[in-house]
Amino acid sequence: MKKILLLFPVAVLALLVLLPFLWTISTSLKPLTEVNRYPPEWVSPSMSLKPYGDMFFYLPFSRYTLNSLIVASSATMLTLVVGSLAAFAFARFRFRGRKQILLVLLLSQMLPGASVIIPLFQLLRTAGLYDTHLGLILVHTAVLLPFVIWLLHGFFSGIPTEVEDAALIDGCSRLEALRRVILPLALPGLGATALFAFLGSWNEFFFALILTNTDATQTIPVGIGLFVGEFEDVWNQMSAAAVLFSIPPLILFMAMRRTFVRGLAAGALQ
Amino acid sequence: MRRYTPYMLLTPALLFTVFILVYPMAQNLVNSFRDVSLVREGGGWTGLLNYQHVFGDPVFWLAFRNTVVYAVAGTLLALLIGLGLALVLDMHTGAMSSFAATLYSIPWVISPVVAGFAWKWLLNDHFGILNYWLSSAGIARHGTSWLGNPHTALFCVMVARAWQFYPFAMVMFIAGLQSIPAEQYEAASVDGASRIRRFFHITIPNLRPVSSVLLLLGVIWSFNDFNMVFVMTRGGPINASMVLPVLVREFSFVHFDLGKGSALSVLIFALLVTLSYLYLRVLARRERG
Repeated sequence: MKKILLLFPVAVLALLVLLPFLWTISTSLKPLTEVNRYPPEWVSPSMSLKPYGDMFFYLPFSRYTLNSLIVASSATMLTLVVGSLAAFAFARFRFRGRKQILLVLLLSQMLPGASVIIPLFQLLRTAGLYDTHLGLILVHTAVLLPFVIWLLHGFFSGIPTEVEDAALIDGCSRLEALRRVILPLALPGLGATALFAFLGSWNEFFFALILTNTDATQTIPVGIGLFVGEFEDVWNQMSAAAVLFSIPPLILFMAMRRTFVRGLAAGALQ
Repeated sequence: MRRYTPYMLLTPALLFTVFILVYPMAQNLVNSFRDVSLVREGGGWTGLLNYQHVFGDPVFWLAFRNTVVYAVAGTLLALLIGLGLALVLDMHTGAMSSFAATLYSIPWVISPVVAGFAWKWLLNDHFGILNYWLSSAGIARHGTSWLGNPHTALFCVMVARAWQFYPFAMVMFIAGLQSIPAEQYEAASVDGASRIRRFFHITIPNLRPVSSVLLLLGVIWSFNDFNMVFVMTRGGPINASMVLPVLVREFSFVHFDLGKGSALSVLIFALLVTLSYLYLRVLARRERG
């Protein structure tokens, strides 16, 4: 009994903090006549999944989804390759400038997007990469890289050097040792890092908004962010898009909660 | 050869850093002293003219004030909510509490765009559930447009931002609470200190380091935040909720004045460097103490 009494406030708080999201879910299941009804109701008998289908049909969300998948998965792979090499250098070598370079990487995480957007825009336009997948992939990779290096650095440092020394004695080069010994051992860490990177790119809005311009390249957050205001008459379809778009981050978060929370705490405090 | 290996490994990452950090910073500085437009030929050196335009623009001062309010008050609100929830969760243990922590973290996990969208719809003047409740309770008139009113728009966006940031504070506070040595509480109990006294004399002082880190980090992140304001109000109505990052976009891609936008970018960067410097000092002090 006492336990239930204690749980009650916890449950009420959960409903309270999730209120905006729950209201969006409720809206995403209603037909338009119900959405534009006063007084509003949380549940109604006419609820269905229809807005989820309509949104792909009436709004360009199938294209946006494809764009988001292309950009997020490419940026993830590129970040992992570039990040592993750098993290390996930090974890296994003592070299001049090591501390300074780490500091620059740490600082670039604080980077205000607004402070770099104009030159990036000019550069991508000159290079013919404005409004292309590749342009956005490169920018997302650059943005995610510091955090990825930092995470991988932690995972690589946790692998005992003896394993690697054995490979070196067997005649592997350092790079071969990285590929054949370190990477397989760091696989769980690589997986977690890949998820972080994927989510970072998947949720990213600012650069995607300014560096893309057409349906052929715009990602889901850009679609949602721009349509708020323009397509206010289809709140149910927009809500469906918002809910569907949140599912991958939510699943990944539930699955990797421990690593996520640890990474969250570590990312800020080290 | 061996000596160069680390540098070779670092080269791709450094190239990306140059691409996202070094080059844009340098180019911004150059832009800010020139006449650069998105729609016509320009390029002449204009000295400090762009900076004069920024400082002479009343919207800049409004956005500056708004950004400070948004970043500081929003972060404080998030810290209060985070601390409250952390204390509630800290009283419970086991699977239920960790499940609750997961639920409470959802606002941090979903995309900021979705968060902004959800709040905008919640606050909708006619069909949002919040207005329905408030008018049923007799607190506000039905049809009140919270985001369309210059007096309330910034406040609403700030609340939404606090809603997104509090889970981060909560997780950090839980870690902070768990690291307080139990002996301190036991000693205080032996001395006959009440629960409230223990809270103010043991819990709060022990949480001070993590609070200062959270405050600075939250202010820095909110200072940079473009998403919530852009999605919910675009800085409106009539610039009432305009913040600096949204104003950069406004100058550069709505008014096509890249020079003025660059000058503002340089100013934002200078402010951020100052804040980051403070953050690193706080971190350094934490490590020593």
